[in-house]
Amino acid sequence: MSDYACTAKDQGARPRLKKWRPREFPCFNNGARPGNEGQMTSAFFPMRRSGKAESAARPAPGPLILMLYGLGFWLALSMAAYWGGEGYYSLWFPPAGLRLAFLWHFGPRATPAIMIVELLVNLGMGRFSLASPDRLIALWGIVRPVLAYGAIVGVIRWLSSGSRAGMMTPPMPFSLAAAAAPVFAALTALPEALWRPDRTQVTTLPDVITSLTAFAVGDLLGVLLIAPPLLWIAGTAGRGRKSLPSRLAPPSIAWTPVMEMAFLLGGAIVVTRLLTHIGLGFQPTPVILAVAWTGLRFGRLAAWISLAAVAWLLLPETADAISTTDRLERHLNLATIMVVGYLAGSYRDAQKQARAALERRDRLLFQAERLKTLRAMSVAVIHEISQPLSTLAIEARHLHAITDRSGQEIRESAALIDRKAAALSHLVRRLRRFGGRVVDEPSPLPVPALVESVVAIAAPEARSQGVALKVGPTDPDLVILGQEVELSQALMNLLRNAIQHSSDRAVELGSERRGGRAEITVLNRYEPEASHGMGMGVGILVAQAIVEAHGGHLTRTKGPDGVMLASIMLPLAGDCA
Amino acid sequence: MTGEPKVYVVDDDRDLGGSVARLLCRQGFAAEPFLDPVMLLNAYVEAPASCIVTDVMMDDLDGFGFADRVRFLDPAVAIVFMTAWPTTANAVDAVRRHGGLDYLEKPIDEARLIAAVTEGVAWSSRRRRQLGRTAALTPREREVFDLLVLGHSNKAIAGILALSPKTVEDHRAAIMAKTGTSGLAQLIALASPG
Repeated sequence: MSDYACTAKDQGARPRLKKWRPREFPCFNNGARPGNEGQMTSAFFPMRRSGKAESAARPAPGPLILMLYGLGFWLALSMAAYWGGEGYYSLWFPPAGLRLAFLWHFGPRATPAIMIVELLVNLGMGRFSLASPDRLIALWGIVRPVLAYGAIVGVIRWLSSGSRAGMMTPPMPFSLAAAAAPVFAALTALPEALWRPDRTQVTTLPDVITSLTAFAVGDLLGVLLIAPPLLWIAGTAGRGRKSLPSRLAPPSIAWTPVMEMAFLLGGAIVVTRLLTHIGLGFQPTPVILAVAWTGLRFGRLAAWISLAAVAWLLLPETADAISTTDRLERHLNLATIMVVGYLAGSYRDAQKQARAALERRDRLLFQAERLKTLRAMSVAVIHEISQPLSTLAIEARHLHAITDRSGQEIRESAALIDRKAAALSHLVRRLRRFGGRVVDEPSPLPVPALVESVVAIAAPEARSQGVALKVGPTDPDLVILGQEVELSQALMNLLRNAIQHSSDRAVELGSERRGGRAEITVLNRYEPEASHGMGMGVGILVAQAIVEAHGGHLTRTKGPDGVMLASIMLPLAGDCA
Repeated sequence: MTGEPKVYVVDDDRDLGGSVARLLCRQGFAAEPFLDPVMLLNAYVEAPASCIVTDVMMDDLDGFGFADRVRFLDPAVAIVFMTAWPTTANAVDAVRRHGGLDYLEKPIDEARLIAAVTEGVAWSSRRRRQLGRTAALTPREREVFDLLVLGHSNKAIAGILALSPKTVEDHRAAIMAKTGTSGLAQLIALASPG
């Protein structure tokens, strides 16, 4: 922690003359903060545009990525062509999966870029021509689904962020987006289909409904099959640079679940085939049950593998000469299987996450309880010691006084006992001031002292996790009224949270005077994917309770470029009294 | 009250009480330890003291309750508290509400204890002299005295007590004579406990 050491020294020696300033965030502490607190512009927190960690903070997709997207989109469109029918693209539409994966990974603001790329690919493939008289409506037909997807991703991201996050445990938000986006995109096509039926050669209402259902089903299948593995790959590549090889290595396979899955799915498929064979038609129920079971027991990955296997078996059968009605029925059944399987898997993963969060909370509560007991015990011990020590010190002093004229040995012994008893008394009085009294009543507390004592605890923790803890300059005149132990706890909780979720291995701690109050800030960059469920831990709740008990506010703001800013505002000591 | 000033030490820790009492004896006080505040209350009227050093946390009767009761028996006794559980709230209460002279934290700072007891003994004897002088007043004179030290004029006092100004004048002369004072300022000094 050379940064910290340097700060502390500078501050002690000449706090006013030379203020150490974090190198990478030049505006962090100079007081010129943006007016709108909720939005931190990237000008104020310039990101380093190199290294892998930044992809975690959801940057805009670069030209290379967009070119890759175009290539993938073209491939997916070609793949879809086999299942095409009258008046619609396909009954399974992998481009939709690619699109949703991109939008989910890069956020809704990537929508315009994706629109342009899709337009170019369509132009290149000759599916859209600037010369055609219908070019405007064709253009709209290409742009519209992208807009619909972007809107759904935006809405669900909004629903699962901030204070509303409690209801949405990952991976539920993505699963909901995967189910909602295709349906919404199909619905947005309705006005167009009714207004210009000639363009798609579907004229009657039943035909329109068929067409739109096919649209929704195709997108749904495409999304559920393609988007999850893409996102998994993106997440794996973007996460840690420290253990990239180990993350890409195949996870060790537990064979019992695999056997169970294979047995269930195989059995279900055999039963389905048997039912078809004896003339009962295509019955998806056994497969639905099998994938639901798999999803609920083993989670998303297992569910997705089962679904991929089912799709792999079923899709080729529906590509060739088969009536549109039959194909639509098969694909609808497949879509049902996939939605059920994927939601079941997501539900199980969400449950697992929730349980992990609960266990963490329990551990913290247990720890807090133990600390409370420990504190009560230490106060009791101080009390128990102080009582006999009083007697001891008085008698030792007396002994020392009356042995003044005795032999040298006795005199020295008595003096030693007296000295030690006095030292011990002093120690107990000091201990009590620290552990007993300060806990009871608020006292004037300089912010630098608070910051320094918290950093002393947090620095080793940060170091052990490979996170650099940077401390900005502190103003020695910034004095608040509070209980040091509790406020340290609050700040420590925020720091711990920031250290755990820092995506670029750096955490900033700063303090300043702001509008007649003291502000202490903890800043880190986070991974949007990873930080979702961990948002409001018990540590943050405890910090909030402590800060509010001191007449202050705790706010946590997620900036658009992956910056998490936690800010404690506390009244200055003068205002409280 | 002759000889060494009497000091009682009340603590439910026998050793500590004895120790503090011996310490005070060595400093020239006639100190005596008490284990039980109730026992001291029962015996107090027979042998009042100048100063009482008492623990705050005790079993049956805590130091504050004890202080209130002993102050009722003898308004001229100085009280010094000592405690192993110091809090600021208690410290303020000890001095403001229970008339404590000081609030000592265990382990006890000897110098501060001796200073507090010395001050307490001096305060007590001063207070006793004041009370002794006003003790001879009749109930009516006492009423006039109380109003006088509040700053009321003879005329105002006559109005309040429904007496003639002349009678108040007489009472005032009697009060001056009995307390041996020669002016209102001295009277007021007599009434203030500090």
